[in-house]
Amino acid sequence: MTSLVWAGGFPCSKHKRCNGTERDARVMVWDQLPLPSRIRSALQRTHLKSVREVLSLPAVDVQRLTGLAQPEVHQLLTVAAAVCRRHAPLTVLQLQRGECRRCESGLRLSVSCPVLDGLLRGGLPVGGITELSGPSGAGKTQLALQISLSVQYPVEHGGLGAGALYICTEDSFPIRRLQQMISEQAILRSEVPPSVISGLHFSDHVYIEHAADLDSLQVCLSRRAPVLLAAGLVRLIVVDSVAALFRSEFQTEDWLERNKQLLTFSTMLHQLSQEFTTPVLCINQVMDVLKDDDSLGPLSSSVTPALGLAWANQVMMRLMMLRHQTTVSRGDQSSTLRRLEVVFAPHLARSKRDVGVWREGVRGVPVLE
Amino acid sequence: SAVQLYLGGEFETSAEVLKFGLVLFESGFSLTDDPIVELETANNHGGGEAVTALELLQREKECGSITTFSSQLDRALKGGLPVGKVTEICGAPGVGKTQLCLQLSVDVQVPLSFGGLEGQVIFMDTEGSFVLQRVGDVAAAVVRHFSLVRCHDYVELLAELHLLPDFLRDQPRVRLLVIDSVAFPFRQQLDDLSLRTRLLQGLAQQLVSIATRHNIAVVITNQMTTRLQDSQSHLVPALGEIWGHASTTRILLQWEGSRQVAAIVKSPCCMDTAVQYHITSEGFRDVNQPENSDQPEIPLTERRSL
Repeated sequence: MTSLVWAGGFPCSKHKRCNGTERDARVMVWDQLPLPSRIRSALQRTHLKSVREVLSLPAVDVQRLTGLAQPEVHQLLTVAAAVCRRHAPLTVLQLQRGECRRCESGLRLSVSCPVLDGLLRGGLPVGGITELSGPSGAGKTQLALQISLSVQYPVEHGGLGAGALYICTEDSFPIRRLQQMISEQAILRSEVPPSVISGLHFSDHVYIEHAADLDSLQVCLSRRAPVLLAAGLVRLIVVDSVAALFRSEFQTEDWLERNKQLLTFSTMLHQLSQEFTTPVLCINQVMDVLKDDDSLGPLSSSVTPALGLAWANQVMMRLMMLRHQTTVSRGDQSSTLRRLEVVFAPHLARSKRDVGVWREGVRGVPVLE
Repeated sequence: SAVQLYLGGEFETSAEVLKFGLVLFESGFSLTDDPIVELETANNHGGGEAVTALELLQREKECGSITTFSSQLDRALKGGLPVGKVTEICGAPGVGKTQLCLQLSVDVQVPLSFGGLEGQVIFMDTEGSFVLQRVGDVAAAVVRHFSLVRCHDYVELLAELHLLPDFLRDQPRVRLLVIDSVAFPFRQQLDDLSLRTRLLQGLAQQLVSIATRHNIAVVITNQMTTRLQDSQSHLVPALGEIWGHASTTRILLQWEGSRQVAAIVKSPCCMDTAVQYHITSEGFRDVNQPENSDQPEIPLTERRSL
């Protein structure tokens, strides 16, 4: 039986390819399924081409299209379902023992700072969208650049052994700052043997794309990203920022259309993240909280991430970086104090850490016991 | 023995009993060594005597509910989350829907001798929010009978539900099915709203049938969406009006300032009750407000007769 590569596929419905030679499990030859010939011939008379199509219809529709009796439809659906399923249910005990390689493994991407890794219980999860929001100048891009470097370290040093795809939507990419951070990696990651650090050619593995509008963003995610991911060149996607594209291209009356586009965009990110077990980091802007709108969280700050509920529903982990008035010093450097806060995450308490932005990167201020 | 303490009303609230029970459960203490328990369970199970259909129906009706670690929520639900019915939990992102589902997955496994259902659980995760680290915090002791199914889109979810009855036939001790969330996969990639409505209707029927036929509490989570009405925006559960009929009980989790509140917004027996909760490292819990208790905790012996 053809094994399923992925059941989703990218939502480029304009370009549906029906390439007969492609080992695409979405297009299924009915002969391959263990079904009686009566059901098979009924199916061949319909326009249904794949198990996914069969399962996407209500059972009554399948019955009507095939003209089969109810028990036969049930048999067909059961066989189709068994093909679609990636693996049988696993117990949590089995998962904890690591008996399923494709499943949630607890792997995390370190952010190159032990204090912040502690806040995140290891780092970024490798599945799902992590959002980092905050006012301008808070240091979001700084942290994103740092994570684009930390992903390149081998797994035993908290990375994923591959590069990053960095998609810029607003300003040009801060290449000088990246070079500065690269040159200071030995200071930031003093626990890593220098030979390892010098062996990593950081700038070669940050793939920078500019997407000035939604169409180019879609092209980037549907064409460039899968190629880089499938080749193992990249195991982190950064979008800096999501807000820029979705705020500017739509007037306030178009919010329905905007939400639809947001959903398409986030669906693509989710599929890439799931298929290639890749963390996705989206930087977001903030807006002022309306006085009586406490729907999305306790009023711990005067700002809330942009793009509203439609976007928030797509985010698995929400982080916020805020600037404070005070400064903090270390050696010959001083930095405006920031705070990185976990707004929500399925596995984290709402907590925060003080953070400084230094020459070598973003570092949490250790919590005094 | 523990059971004598339990019957003698030494525990004040069901949460205390459950906590005590779980501590014993975790330390591997088996109460079946206790002769009093053996007698009690034998009586309860009717040890082989014939049962009429009416008695069976009555027993099923009394089959009860999943008592949570939140006494206030149990009280608001008149006993706990009902088995044999579909309950929906909705709320904004990050308010605690997945946390409550994880809590229920622990609560359903509490042994019979402690007033639990000693049931197994199937957790269907469509969003990827089932994180092993968190499960370890809340449910470390009960991972053997806790099954996970990961669905990446609505087709996989529908496929898993087609295969569920066979699975349940082989695993008759399942008492809880969680789908977290139904909204996420059905709002992606399904532009055809009429198809979505029909699929959801079929799904709702399937869930009710699973709940009643296999005597399982089905818990589904839903997202919130904004609806414009008279140029005012309201937060309403997603998936439309028709989906609102899928569940018997609907619990809405929401923020009120800095407090988290669980409101029963749809239920056959109790309406407009709202209780405060918070999420601790151990799970979904009441907020203890000794200075605010105009409603004292109902002692356990009284609760049993509800």
